[in-house]
Amino acid sequence: MRPAVGIAVVAMTLLTPSPRDLSAQDSQFGIRGLGTPGRWESVRARSSGGAFAPFDALSPLMEAPLADISTLTATAAGGTSHRDAQLGDTITQLRATRFPLMGVAGRVAPRLVVAGGFTTYLDRSWDVTLRDSTVLRGELERYRDEITSDGSVGDIRLAAASRLSRRLAIGAGIHILAGSTRMTAERRFDDSTFHAVGQVAEVRYDGFGVSGSVLIGVAPGLTIAGWARADNRLRAQVGDSTVALTDLPRMAGAGLLLAPSPRVRFAGSAAWRSWSNAGPGAFDTWSWSAGAEFGSGRMPIRLGVRGGQLPFGPGTKAPTEFAASAGTGRAFAQGRALIDLGVERLERRGGILTERVWTVLVGLTVRP
Amino acid sequence: MTRRRLALVGAVLLAAACVERLTAPGHCPDFCPSGQITVVDTLLTTSINRDSAYRGYVVSYQSPVMLAAVLPSATDTLDGRPIFRFNGYGPRLPISSVDTGQILGADSARLQLYIVRRDTATHNLRLQFYRLPTTIDTTTTFGAVAAAFNNAPVRPTVNVDTLLAQPGGKDPVTGDSVVVDTVNHRWLLSLKFDTAAARYVGTDSGAVAYGIRIAADTLASIAFGKGSVGPVLQWYLRVDSLGMPVARKPGILGTTLANFVFTPPTAPLDSTLAVGGVPSARSLLRVAFPKFIRDSSQIIRGTLFLVPAVAARGAPADSFVMEARTVLADFGRKSPIDARLDDPIVIHPGSTDTIKIEVTNMLQLWAADTTHPTVFLLRPQAEAQYFGEIHFYPSKAALRPTLQITYVKQFPFGVP
Repeated sequence: MRPAVGIAVVAMTLLTPSPRDLSAQDSQFGIRGLGTPGRWESVRARSSGGAFAPFDALSPLMEAPLADISTLTATAAGGTSHRDAQLGDTITQLRATRFPLMGVAGRVAPRLVVAGGFTTYLDRSWDVTLRDSTVLRGELERYRDEITSDGSVGDIRLAAASRLSRRLAIGAGIHILAGSTRMTAERRFDDSTFHAVGQVAEVRYDGFGVSGSVLIGVAPGLTIAGWARADNRLRAQVGDSTVALTDLPRMAGAGLLLAPSPRVRFAGSAAWRSWSNAGPGAFDTWSWSAGAEFGSGRMPIRLGVRGGQLPFGPGTKAPTEFAASAGTGRAFAQGRALIDLGVERLERRGGILTERVWTVLVGLTVRP
Repeated sequence: MTRRRLALVGAVLLAAACVERLTAPGHCPDFCPSGQITVVDTLLTTSINRDSAYRGYVVSYQSPVMLAAVLPSATDTLDGRPIFRFNGYGPRLPISSVDTGQILGADSARLQLYIVRRDTATHNLRLQFYRLPTTIDTTTTFGAVAAAFNNAPVRPTVNVDTLLAQPGGKDPVTGDSVVVDTVNHRWLLSLKFDTAAARYVGTDSGAVAYGIRIAADTLASIAFGKGSVGPVLQWYLRVDSLGMPVARKPGILGTTLANFVFTPPTAPLDSTLAVGGVPSARSLLRVAFPKFIRDSSQIIRGTLFLVPAVAARGAPADSFVMEARTVLADFGRKSPIDARLDDPIVIHPGSTDTIKIEVTNMLQLWAADTTHPTVFLLRPQAEAQYFGEIHFYPSKAALRPTLQITYVKQFPFGVP
């Protein structure tokens, strides 16, 4: 038991994020738009393609599953991604470590569970270099640009859920969107007569959203879920000046959970998001997922696939993505500590860009 | 088993905490930020005004060199002549630890001089030495000693090129020699003055003063050192010792005055912007620095354009460095110079090409510190060490000074 507690402590320490790390998986597709939307899923849900997220109390997608939490529960997740971004014939290998999820939930009344935590709403960490030239003072001057953004917009959620009956649970939440990015723009000319350009700014973001969800037990072993969410706008500020106000999407989704036996569970889900509100170059998106979980207790096996569209990309068609994932989990200390491990292979396509990503996920849940 | 699991989990967590790498080539505009770095280049033709020139910062006797030149031009000939004086030992000299003897005269003397700057293209460089009145001082003008230079030279002309051609740089006939210091790029002349040339007049405290005229096949312009590389004189004296003349070699003497005179005298300042010359001249250019550049942009290059009204005079070796600086406060001719930044440029005699000085550092300073006076000060880097003087058209002329600024606008951070 003691090693298990030690592992939990070490894992919690390593997974405790610094503010700049509160991000999800990056993508080159998010550079031109608002960013790369986060995945509101625990490691358990993400290991099964995200299909179990509507039914997972530790995934911040829906509030209604919180109703089934019986004790104080805290969770955190971390992941490292190895990404190959292929632009035409050029492949760039990228790597990032992110801590996209942390939350705590507990029962405060016999029929009321409240939860708080954060997840990534938009990841805005990227670093772009560009080699080009321009005519200055009658001469062709070659230069190298590097524009970087480091940070994200976080979704701080306060949620409450209640099981109204054996078959019906409902939940609602408010979402405070907050975050910042440190942005730099640098240009270095080959001709050193032109001094290097270096500009830095701290961009702060804020927004607000509300969400609601319902969980209905249709029959023994069959549950359906539905959720909806509306966010108002994302305000970007540099210093005291508002530099951008961008409408955020409304979104809705549904899921189906089939558990023919306690050791076998299947799930599927779909979601729609109106990202085209964000302006030119943004698209409404559909996403879907399907997954399964085999076994229970000590070491379940999770499998899943997901697909869908990305909200930002070049051209007139939304980029697409497809992923397959697998994972497992392990309970320690009589179920008071759980470690979930997952691996995901993802491919995104849009225009001439193809991204292939391996992501290793680690999740920790503690029920003290 | 537990240890294995611990190791496995530890390895996974370490992998998760590895260093990130996000830098990727951009493919614009599809996969680049919507905002771009915007560079603007502008020529400010009317921003420089209220300019003025001042003279008299460093005068000839304050210069660390003595200039000698013969530079003919279409209208006159610039003639520069070093003048220097050695004080003597007085009428008597110690001949033992307790006794002194009257100085009867000099057998000879050896004068050492450093030529610290010369034109390698100048050939047949000749030096002539003249005895000058020992009353010369820092106010002595060319005209005041012109008569003395019309007398016969005190010793035969020294042909430096001939001396250099001698084995070991030594002339066994005259006793002169030259040593070439290739490290410091200077020549050390050691010249023998015989009894007639080195006249020690004890009743006149033994002071002697000499002047030098130079000549060459082409433009002649050289500089003699002063101070630690200035002229020194070694006397070889005859001293009376109980009625018997004895030879004495007292300590070496350095100059008590080292200066140079020249003609024609420096012309008074006119409406042009003068830089250089002797006494040295400086010019101030006041800049109306546009607020839109100062407040909301980043300057990456600034160039000051100056059009010479007349070419600087001098031999090719007289190219001098002019530097643009800024001032800590604008008090006109007494403006204290900001020593932090300078932007130099070489001024070549004879050229009337437009002068371009990169002043980026100073413009960036003005943008960063809005209380800093936006004033350029032009001065020679080595003041009063060259006869060369350049005159630029002022702000009231058609070919006025202009300022070209390349700057970058504020990047649109935060705009999706």
